[in-house]
Amino acid sequence: MDVTVAEYIRRTVLKIPRDEIKTMLRKWGFLSETQLQTINFHQIKENISQDVVQLCEENSADIKQAAVLDIIYNHIYPNKRVWSVYQMNKTGEETEFFDLTDFKKKFKRRLRSALKNVTINFREYEDNAVWIRIAWGTPYTKPNQYKTSYVVYHSQTPYVFISVSVLKSNLPLLCQALVVASNYHDIHEMELRSHSLNSLKDIVFKRYSQNFQTYYPRPLQERNVAPENGDLRIIQENRNEKERIQRVNQEVFGDGPQPKLEFAQYKLETMFKSDPKMDVLDEKEPFRCLVKFSSPHLLESLKSLAPAGMADAPLSPLLTCIPQKARNYFKIREKKGFFPERFVSP
Amino acid sequence: RGKMEEGKAYSPDGVFAHLEMLEARAHEAAVKQEETEQQEEKLARLKARVQELRLQRDELRAKVDLQQKGQLGKEGVVSDPAQPSARAVLEWKIKSVKAMLQVFYLTGISGKLTKRGVCFCISTAYEGTYLDSYHLDLLTKAEVQIHRHSVPIFIPLEQIAKKYLQTDIRRFLSVLSDHLNAYAGRRYQADQLQDRFSDRIEGTLQRNSLCNLLVFNYNVSSKSKTFPFNVRLLYGDLCCSLPTEVTVSCTPDAPASLAETAAAHSDLFRRVALHKAFRSFSSAEES
Repeated sequence: MDVTVAEYIRRTVLKIPRDEIKTMLRKWGFLSETQLQTINFHQIKENISQDVVQLCEENSADIKQAAVLDIIYNHIYPNKRVWSVYQMNKTGEETEFFDLTDFKKKFKRRLRSALKNVTINFREYEDNAVWIRIAWGTPYTKPNQYKTSYVVYHSQTPYVFISVSVLKSNLPLLCQALVVASNYHDIHEMELRSHSLNSLKDIVFKRYSQNFQTYYPRPLQERNVAPENGDLRIIQENRNEKERIQRVNQEVFGDGPQPKLEFAQYKLETMFKSDPKMDVLDEKEPFRCLVKFSSPHLLESLKSLAPAGMADAPLSPLLTCIPQKARNYFKIREKKGFFPERFVSP
Repeated sequence: RGKMEEGKAYSPDGVFAHLEMLEARAHEAAVKQEETEQQEEKLARLKARVQELRLQRDELRAKVDLQQKGQLGKEGVVSDPAQPSARAVLEWKIKSVKAMLQVFYLTGISGKLTKRGVCFCISTAYEGTYLDSYHLDLLTKAEVQIHRHSVPIFIPLEQIAKKYLQTDIRRFLSVLSDHLNAYAGRRYQADQLQDRFSDRIEGTLQRNSLCNLLVFNYNVSSKSKTFPFNVRLLYGDLCCSLPTEVTVSCTPDAPASLAETAAAHSDLFRRVALHKAFRSFSSAEES
């Protein structure tokens, strides 16, 4: 077995939390159950990884199998990477049939025709998602297994989720291969990025809870009705306002959990508005400014601002439009025209 | 008395005693007054009760009269259309409205007017099983626009909207409902196949988001030997939950008789739901 492959497997196993190693190796399926039984999973990870490499040596693992283990790890822990969403367009109206074998063949062919030194692995999952792992080399060097890009694509959708590592120069090539393989015409990057792959999927596939007005009666338990028990000596002075805030919040954010985003960024290119008498800025140039909101869970924290009394309800649409507009990077310019209002670029 | 008056004028002890006495008197008077008041209240209540009962008695008398008069004219007991209470009427109204809304929901397309337009709900079903519902929030002020929706991204919503949304909203909803229902049906069949007939399938079932292309291998037993069949189901019509193209093939070394079986299966897949086809295979093989 290649020394680099052995080292790669060893390092991959070291990344896995100790309790999960056995399950993941089982999922991998490269080592037999009998072989797995011989490993003591209670020893320190350093030793576990050595044992695993030893067994892989016996089975003559090659880079392809090692890559599969890496895909499995990233599929279970996708939040360790930052994912960007790309959108593809096509003009034709023919029905898409998406033949997976066809897709894989076209993708590999396109990528390899431009760059021979790449390792490409595919893995399909139950939710119609195809995971693609690409390790990049150069025309003169072998693929570097530690410089990998991941692509997640759901068949017959125009969205691709890409986690590029360091080598951004390979991105155009990757995009081309995707467009060709999926029968689309072009692809562009959306202004939507997060660590949480599933939340990105929820946003673009519209799987998050939107509050639609319907007549279909929902059971009352679904709505969060605050319990009426409590000390009768305590009187809620602003009960009406509290209820109004709850109602507005529910209309805007819906009932269910929010998709998980870590930040929203607003790039302002607007004119500084000051008292004409003060005349702070002589030049009539836009005042450039970047506003960034960060949070472990941005949308949930925005949702709790008004009920916590820290902001007025309803919140600014610039904040609440994030899931619907499917973006968390905004550029705000002056609206050219009679009314100098804020203008959000598409 | 004299002694008291004396105390009142001269000694402090006497003054206190006098005050005490006055206090006691006042207390007595107050108690008496309270009693009288209570008596009066009670009296008033009883009078009111008497009025009530008199009224009731009059009502009942009137009813009895009515009943007697009615009995003279008609056969059977005339049930008095007693004035239903306002609460009962309200409850009945709510119940019948809920039933109406449930009926609309069950028809598959229901809607609710909103401030800026309409919100439609399309619910899908396949052969009696209700599946997912999808929503469309439309704006109707200027031209008709889709404000938000929960239609899956792989359903060609934009195409359908471009064709029909502006001109014929009914047709738009009908076509969209056909797409959604057909998709729900195809997915249901594929899920049923994977859930209930996984033992007959060799390897993985290749499918896609729209469930309009299924490729898999399954086992067919003939003369106590099993042979793998490969089947490719293509659903060319997105509004249909049955395949438009079916290719069933067996391995080259399979006996010739199996070719007939393959053709029969192919025909069956074209006509019958996927899981039902498999159910009939199982029962055919058992017999």
